[in-house]
Amino acid sequence: MAEITIMTDHRAERSVTFFRKHKLLIMPLVFIAPAFAMFSIFVIYPIIQSIALSFTEWQGIGPKKWVGFNNYRLLLDDPVFWKSLVNNIYWLVFFLLAPVLGLFVALFLNQNVYGIRLVKSLFFFPFVVSQIVVGLVFAWFYDPAFGLLATLLDPLGVSLPPILADENWATFGIIVAGLWPQTAYCMILYLTGLNSVNPEMIEAARLDGAKGWRLLVKIILPQLKAATFIALVVTVIGALRSFDLVAIMTEGGPYNSSNVLAYYMYDNAIFRYRMGYASAIATVLFLIMNVYIVWFLMRLNKNEKGAR
Amino acid sequence: MADVILKNVRKSFGPIDVIKGVDLEAKHGEFVVFVGPSGCGKSTLLRMICGLEKITFGQLLIGNEDMSDVEASERGTAMVFQSYALYPHMTVAENMSFALRMAKTPQSVVEKRVKRAAEILQITHLLDRKPKEMSGGQRQRVAIGRAIVREPKVFLFDEPLSNLDAELRVQMRVELSKLHNEIGATMIYVTHDQVEAMTMADKIVVLRDGVVEQIGSPLDLYMSPDNRFVAGFIGSPQMNFLKAQVVDGTNGEARVSVPDAPDHILRIPLREGAQVAPGQAVTIGIRPEHFLGTPGGAGLKVLVDVVENLGGIAYVYGRTNASQEVILKAESETPPRSGMAVTALVKDDYCHLFDDQGRTLSTSAGAIRTRAAAA
Repeated sequence: MAEITIMTDHRAERSVTFFRKHKLLIMPLVFIAPAFAMFSIFVIYPIIQSIALSFTEWQGIGPKKWVGFNNYRLLLDDPVFWKSLVNNIYWLVFFLLAPVLGLFVALFLNQNVYGIRLVKSLFFFPFVVSQIVVGLVFAWFYDPAFGLLATLLDPLGVSLPPILADENWATFGIIVAGLWPQTAYCMILYLTGLNSVNPEMIEAARLDGAKGWRLLVKIILPQLKAATFIALVVTVIGALRSFDLVAIMTEGGPYNSSNVLAYYMYDNAIFRYRMGYASAIATVLFLIMNVYIVWFLMRLNKNEKGAR
Repeated sequence: MADVILKNVRKSFGPIDVIKGVDLEAKHGEFVVFVGPSGCGKSTLLRMICGLEKITFGQLLIGNEDMSDVEASERGTAMVFQSYALYPHMTVAENMSFALRMAKTPQSVVEKRVKRAAEILQITHLLDRKPKEMSGGQRQRVAIGRAIVREPKVFLFDEPLSNLDAELRVQMRVELSKLHNEIGATMIYVTHDQVEAMTMADKIVVLRDGVVEQIGSPLDLYMSPDNRFVAGFIGSPQMNFLKAQVVDGTNGEARVSVPDAPDHILRIPLREGAQVAPGQAVTIGIRPEHFLGTPGGAGLKVLVDVVENLGGIAYVYGRTNASQEVILKAESETPPRSGMAVTALVKDDYCHLFDDQGRTLSTSAGAIRTRAAAA
C-alpha cells in the first residue's frame, strides 16, 4: 500500500512539472487549435481541393477525368474569360474611388453639430443592407421605364440607354451600385481614424499656418495611414470578388458583357456542370488575389515590427 | 516691442459667458502667468490671444496692432500645448521647421533657425528622431523648439509641464525661466499650479469664473491679496481662515477676537480707507508660517490631528476648540505628535482681515516691508 501511494504521488508531481515547464508553449497552441482546425477544414482544404479539381474534367457527379492543364489552355482561348478579367480590372480601378469618396464623406461628417449621429448612421446604412437589396434598389433606379434616374433625367431632355441592358454600360452601372456600400465602409474606417487624431495637433498646425488642402495632405492624411491601408485592402479584395451584385442585377449579361471572374466561375459550375473548368477560373482568381494578400501580409508584418 | 494688451475682452459660448470682461497688459519681455482653478477660463483666454478662439467682444493688441480678428497664424504668437501636439509622422527637425516651410521660408534660413533652436534646448542629437522615440521631457523640448523657430513676438504656454513627472517639472521650470531670460520675448503661461506661478512669473493674473481677481507680482499677491479667494489660492499649504469678530477699530488698527479663544485679542493693521464696526463678523487669514504651534502657554488651543514633517519644517494639521481646521508651522526637530494640544502663537501684524464679502480690510506687515524694500 505504502509503495503504491508513493508511486502515484511521484507521477502527479512529474506531470505538473511538465505542464508548468512548457506552459508558455502549450497554452498558445491550445488556444489556436480550434480556430486552426476550422480554418483548415473550411478554407485550406477546399482551396487545395479546387486547385486539384481544376486539372480534371467533371460534371459534378460521375467519374473525374484527369486532363492536366487542358482547362487552363481552354481558358486562354475563351473570350468570356478575357471579358470577365477586363471587367474585374474595371472594378478594381473604379472601386478605388470608394476610399477617396469615403475620406471626404468622413471629413464632412467629422463635426460636432446637432443630429450628426443620425446623419452618420444614414450614411452608414448602405453597408448594413444586404448586397442583394443594394442590387435590387439600383436595378429599379436604372429601370428605363419607371426608374428614378429616367424620371429625373427625362424632363431635362437627357435620355440614357437602358443601363443594365446595354453592353457598354452594364458593368459601370453595377460598379456604381457597388461603390455605394463600399464608400460607406471606407467612411466608417476613416471616421474611426479621425477620432483618434489629437485635436491639439490640428490646432498646432493651424497656428503653424497650415489650412485647407495643405492641412489635409501634410497633417491629417499621414495620421490616417492605417485607415487608408485597410480601406485599400478591403476595397481591392471587394472588387476582385464582386459577385452578388452581378448575379442580382444582370447575371453577367447582356452577352456576358458585365461578367466577372467570380460570376463566370459560378455560372460554369452551377449551370453548365463544368466543375473542372470553373475550378480553373477560381484558381486564376485566387492567384490574382494572392498578389494583394501577400502585399497585405508583408505590410502588416512590417507595421507590427515597427510598433515593437 | 510686443506688449500684449487686452481691453474688456469677453467670450461667450452660446448663452454661457466664459470670459466676462478682462483688462490686462503684458509688457514686452514680461513673463505673465494666468492661474486659477480649473474651469476659470484661463486656457480660453490664452486661446483667444493666439487666435484659436474668436473674441466675442473687446480688443486684443499685440505690439500696438489690433489683432482681434487676425488669422491665428499671422498674430506673431507661438503656442506650446499641454499634450505637446507634435506631428507624429515627422522627425524632430521636420516638426520644428513645419511652420517655416508653410510660410515658404528659404531653406537656408530654416536650417539655421532649427539648428539654433536645437542648440538652445540641447536637442541637436534628437533632430532625426520621431516623437514616439522620445521621452516626455524631450517631447516637451521639441514642442518649445517648434515655438522658438518661428521667432514669435509672444510665446504662449498652455499648462506645458502638467504631463511631466514631479522631478522633471521642477527642472523644466528652471529651464523655462532661463529660456525666458535668454530670448527675452513676452511669454504668457497658463497653469493651475500656484507653485509654477510663484516661481516663474514676473506678473501673476489670478482668474476665477472668467473674471480677473487680482494682477500683481508673486510677492504682491502673497503678501497683500486683494480678497479671500486670492489669499486662499496663492501659497502652499493654504492660508488658514478663522471666523472672528471685531472688538473695535481705531487708529488704523482693528482689535479682533476669535470665538475659540475669546480672551485672545489680535491687533491687525487696517488698509487705508478700510472701516470696521464693533461686533462686525470678519474672517482672519493667517499663513501657516505666521501661525506657530508651541507647547503650552495661553492663547488659541489647537488639537493636533496629523503632523507632516518635511525635515526643515513641520506642518501641523489640527482643529481649534470650535472645530475650525487649521494648519500650523512647528519646529521640525521637536514636532508635536497627533493627539497633543498645542498653543497657536499668532503674529498679529501678519494677519489678514476679510469682510463678509471676502474683501481685504487689512494690510499685513509683510506687504509693508516688501513695499519698503522695493522702494
